[in-house]
Amino acid sequence: MRIRTVIGTCVMLCLTGISRGALAQEVPGSPGPEDADRRALEEALGADRAAARPPAAMPPAAMQTASTTVAPTAAGGISLDLSFILDVAGAWYSQDPATIGGHDPNRTGFNFQGLELAIQSNVDPYFRFVGTMVFSQFGVEVEEAYGQTLSLPGGLQVRAGQMLTRFGRINGTHPHQWSFVDQPLVVGKFLGSEGSRGLGAELSWLTPLPWFLEVSASMTDAAGECCARSFLGGRDLGIHGIGDFLYTAAIRQFFPFGRDWSLLWGLSGQWGPNASGHGNRTEIYGTDLYLRYRPAGHPERMALSWTVEGFYRARQVPGTSLRDYGGYAQMVWQITRRWETGVRYEFVSGLPGDPLDPEWTDHRQRAAVQATFYPSHDSRIRLQGNGDWMAWRQKPVLGAILNLELAVGAHGAHTF
Amino acid sequence: MRATLVFLGMLSFLAPEGAVARLRVAATLPTLGAVVKEVGGDRVEVSVLASPEEDPHYVDPRPNLILVLNRADALVVNGLDLEVGWLPPLQAQARNGRIQTGAPGYLDASTLIPRLDVPTTPVDRAQGDIHPGGNPHYLFDARSLERVVRGVGEFLGRLDPEGAPEYGRRAETLAGSLEAFQREQAARIAALPVEKRRVVSYHRSFPYLYQWLGLEEVATIEPRPGIPPDPGHVARVLATMKATGARVIVQETWQPRNTSQTLARLVGGTVVVLPGGVDLSRGESLLDHLRQVAGGVIHALQH
Repeated sequence: MRIRTVIGTCVMLCLTGISRGALAQEVPGSPGPEDADRRALEEALGADRAAARPPAAMPPAAMQTASTTVAPTAAGGISLDLSFILDVAGAWYSQDPATIGGHDPNRTGFNFQGLELAIQSNVDPYFRFVGTMVFSQFGVEVEEAYGQTLSLPGGLQVRAGQMLTRFGRINGTHPHQWSFVDQPLVVGKFLGSEGSRGLGAELSWLTPLPWFLEVSASMTDAAGECCARSFLGGRDLGIHGIGDFLYTAAIRQFFPFGRDWSLLWGLSGQWGPNASGHGNRTEIYGTDLYLRYRPAGHPERMALSWTVEGFYRARQVPGTSLRDYGGYAQMVWQITRRWETGVRYEFVSGLPGDPLDPEWTDHRQRAAVQATFYPSHDSRIRLQGNGDWMAWRQKPVLGAILNLELAVGAHGAHTF
Repeated sequence: MRATLVFLGMLSFLAPEGAVARLRVAATLPTLGAVVKEVGGDRVEVSVLASPEEDPHYVDPRPNLILVLNRADALVVNGLDLEVGWLPPLQAQARNGRIQTGAPGYLDASTLIPRLDVPTTPVDRAQGDIHPGGNPHYLFDARSLERVVRGVGEFLGRLDPEGAPEYGRRAETLAGSLEAFQREQAARIAALPVEKRRVVSYHRSFPYLYQWLGLEEVATIEPRPGIPPDPGHVARVLATMKATGARVIVQETWQPRNTSQTLARLVGGTVVVLPGGVDLSRGESLLDHLRQVAGGVIHALQH
């Protein structure tokens, strides 16, 4: 009941925000209109809106003139940020690598990791559109397609559509933003081969505190083998109540230490139903830390960054509750403009009799080392070596991956 | 409810002293920040996103910049895609309609100047990091800055009509001193023989500066914009320098210096390292910065 009230309030806030956003463009430095003036202006705007409603039967000829004269000039100069990013890899593994990420090179030989089409554009002064289509060798998949508000008051922002949830640090990003060729094991095992994503809506709030503190909450589909595997996964049981959605909440805080040091810290949680039986639920909690040293103005753009993410998961299954955990830590050193290197260590626990991963009966550890060469800003060649110790196998899996990544089109912007 | 009020009360301590509602303007680059500060005077509070040491193509999009944009009434950008690699996500996350592209509080300063290096054929990335709208590095040029200063004056006047006369006056004064300065410097260069007016640049950062000062760029150390130099290209640059008599290499602080210094040593010339923008933290003014830029180049050419 309380959840329903909260959601109702959020929806109302958003709707009033959108209608007020248009009027709230005045600048505080300039004196605002007096109350009486403001009322007169609002009435006039209301009258204009009423007058602008198209008459019921507009002559078709008039409609045509309007579209032919206005549309071409308007469309001529509009820019749409479009880019294609290709990831292909050659890999060698000493035995079956049991990879779990949807874009991981998963076999010895050549691997097509994906061709991503990224589209970004402002729709109007109120919305921005973000779309990410991924072409695999045999199909297309809409990874993300959402609208994001640009001008809600009070530091609020809504995203709605198909989107990656803001659980942790790496989940909100696409493979071309990763330092390593493959996805961390814990992300694949707990969130899904494609990470945690779904259709839904998210409200986030940038608090008025003197440092960056952002709170976000989203409500998305709890089904999807690829993208909500600890929840309903491949068994879509339908929506019978407000509790059948997947809820994600996160807090992100940023602390700059001078111009050169940065620290981003996040706490996340996910709650939703799972498919193991009626009323059974899953909870996942995570924390992520990103510490970076990047001396401003370094001629080689040197940077040293350290990322740690840790997840804890609890699932109700008939007769018991399954609890497991996992995480990774990585250090990446951008040595010069053209060279980068990094190391990563991962640990994920396993449970005998886990219905999702029956083979994964014990813990698994993986270590990776990579060296990257950037011929330019729009291409990179990575060589990565993996050592994967699965406690239930006799020998570790060794792997070597050579990846080529090429980006064409609009320059994708970097996010922190 | 009471808790909320107490919380808001606590926050009010964080607001700046003397709560006269000043226009809060964010500028992407330090030189633009200096223009806004000098034209806006006391009516305006300026925040700059990039530091003067940072390459404006690769500014670190740290989340504290989102806060600046969230609280700004206006945003002044360099434009011509110089900030395309870092600004759009910050703008989108700022949750502030006033500073979005196209809003009344958004000014793209490149719309105020005549642009150079505008590609006449379709842009191909094999040409390097070409800016499709033209060369974006106009902030080294006192003549472009004259126009930017006047444009910023009008922009601030539109946002804060009460201050418009003051912005207009300040902009005219500053533009006047820029004009006197640019003529004086151009005259100093015109006194030099033609063969002394040839220079080499690291990146194609200075076509506006060279046009103002009447200098000729004979080569760039980068083979194509944004592509690091290779030995073959550097050897050609050396040959060009010997053939044309160019002895001065001009670059910005964030570019690597070893190649430039080696080339300069081989021809008995000098490397001029120009500061990327006005250093507001040290109280530098726009004219101080331009004096350093033009003075540095001219001094090297004269010796």
